[in-house]
Amino acid sequence: MNTLLAVIIGALTVYLAYTLYARRIDRHVIQSDPKRATPATLYMDGVDFMPTNKNILFGYHFKSIAAAGPIIGAIVAANLWGWLPAIIWLILGVSFIGWASDYSGIVISVRNDGNSLSAIAHRLVSPRSRTILFVFIFFYLLLVAGAFVGIMATVLESQLKTQLGVIVLTVMGLLLGQMLYRWRTGLVGATVLTVGVTLIAILGGGWTEDIFRAFNDGLNTLSGGSPLVTYFDPTLANFKGAEAKIMPSLLFWALAISAFCYAGSVLPIWRMAQPVIYVGFWITALAMVLGLSGAAVASFVKPEVAQFVIPAFRGFNPQLGPAGIMPLWPMLFVTIACGAISGWHALFGAVGTARQIENEADMLPIGGGSMFTEFLLGLLALLAVSVGSKGAPVGAFATGLGGFISVWGVPLQYATSLAFAAFIVIVLVVTQLLFRVMRVTLSEWLGEVIPPLRNQHVASLVSVALAILLMLTGTWVYLWQLFGGANQMMAALSLLLVTVWLASAGTNWMYAGLPAVFMWVTTCASILVTAYNLYTNVYQINLASGRMIPVVGSALMILVALLLVVAAIYIGIDSWRAFQRYRHRPLQQPKPAAARA
Amino acid sequence: MLSERLGRLRGAIAQFMYGLTGHEFARHALEMRHEMEAVFMVVTFGDLIGVPVLPPVYSLRLLPFVVPEIATWKRHMAHRKDFWEKDEYDLHGL
Repeated sequence: MNTLLAVIIGALTVYLAYTLYARRIDRHVIQSDPKRATPATLYMDGVDFMPTNKNILFGYHFKSIAAAGPIIGAIVAANLWGWLPAIIWLILGVSFIGWASDYSGIVISVRNDGNSLSAIAHRLVSPRSRTILFVFIFFYLLLVAGAFVGIMATVLESQLKTQLGVIVLTVMGLLLGQMLYRWRTGLVGATVLTVGVTLIAILGGGWTEDIFRAFNDGLNTLSGGSPLVTYFDPTLANFKGAEAKIMPSLLFWALAISAFCYAGSVLPIWRMAQPVIYVGFWITALAMVLGLSGAAVASFVKPEVAQFVIPAFRGFNPQLGPAGIMPLWPMLFVTIACGAISGWHALFGAVGTARQIENEADMLPIGGGSMFTEFLLGLLALLAVSVGSKGAPVGAFATGLGGFISVWGVPLQYATSLAFAAFIVIVLVVTQLLFRVMRVTLSEWLGEVIPPLRNQHVASLVSVALAILLMLTGTWVYLWQLFGGANQMMAALSLLLVTVWLASAGTNWMYAGLPAVFMWVTTCASILVTAYNLYTNVYQINLASGRMIPVVGSALMILVALLLVVAAIYIGIDSWRAFQRYRHRPLQQPKPAAARA
Repeated sequence: MLSERLGRLRGAIAQFMYGLTGHEFARHALEMRHEMEAVFMVVTFGDLIGVPVLPPVYSLRLLPFVVPEIATWKRHMAHRKDFWEKDEYDLHGL
């Protein structure tokens, strides 16, 4: 297998699934009508409801859904089961489930006056489903925050060439916000300056390597070179299990990331979060465009970077030793989340994008098209890790992506630095936003009961503390899989809602209903498997050796896992009842709004 | 014919790039403007429709600029929003 073949398969998947399946559903089931008025045109308010050009909205929606998920999931899955199952799930997932979830999230909102999924669930399914969806969102955020802080701290501590780029990115983000919103500088000029300086710092990361090495060593001498916390991590040493040691330098970088996220959480969004994301977007986009095009031509130009080096298939239940059971079904289907299907996309599409849809004929190219483009991002990550050298997954990914970029004449050393930076940047910018959202969620949820949580600083600090506690469990893979389970479960719930809505309209519901059932069963099973792994491989072992931090962390994760399953069962029952009700007695549909001229 | 197609393609790519980059800033600027306008409207709306009280001079001077915004402002204010529809929830993927 080489990268050219994989890229051709990916392009064919997009073309065939879009033209033969997605377009057919759009025409014959949803019956999108270009003349039907959309909420954006009916309720135009100049802010939320705003008719927007299809191409602009495609770019906006894609940028909003594309981030770290498709990259990390593909990296982890390729290392667990091999590249073949990963690529098959990416292709089948996006073709039959992923695009349907993203597209349907937009459709259901457009056809329901631009209402959010929670509001529609409240009306169609049951009042409590809205509350349960809220619980899902909070724990989903907590899990992903813990996973991202963990991986970021590890990478920043060990990759000494990356710190300079991250620091300069932060400074340039702050500068960009000031330039755009206060000094009113033009976007193009400000972009060239801030992105250019950040890029130079990323490529020149080697200049400060020795300084940061000395800095880390200095920190570690504070504890006399011994770790602050020691625990057993069954996923270390290529899943053979090993003692993990948290050194002062790792804790420092975890706290530094937390401070960065805290600032992103409490400062006005224009001041830090938005401009940092914008600068980071250019860095990531540059690496991805160069990487994907490089992967396509590498077979001709530089064949040595285009050959897969990891095994195609490691078995249905790879013998992972102390890491416990890791059956391909259901675990692969939650490990690779966003490149195949993601619940967050539907949630965002229903609120952020649906209210800007100018024309019903735009729903498929924007919703479905963005998901297919995200699939290509996941495919690129899979290719990069499959051709990368053996070793730590993130390192292999950066090596592989760096190889693709080097096809264009960029020296390998700089290309790899850019690839590493792209990974770090994309995770970092999402993490700061996560804490912002967690802060708002926490204060809205518990603010009435615990008034101090209404204070944004208290809510932010509590969110950061919870995420660090999860990180200290030391079982990053389990954390990621639990997050994937929550994310995919949200996708299943949104598809369930779409199924109920289609049944209520007396329309064929199969295209959403079958994937909904599959994803609901799969995610429930995967969350239970992860809870079992956590209990037997982390909780019990560390309890026996008296290490309380990982015991508390894993107990918290198990609790969250069980809570998610219970919530999913409640929504599943309510959805089934609503489905049966509407299936036999569809709702009277309101007359469509007057056709536009 | 070919140049026309290329022109359309170039336009579509430019729009896509704008969607990727500038559209979010434009939306945020609109939201910031809306927030200021909302405060302004709350302060002056009573005066603007104050009959038979004579509206103050500043209201009359601003009236032509405000009138086109009244309809969309009313719609935006009247729309019930869940808290997770706030700007903070724009997570840019995951």
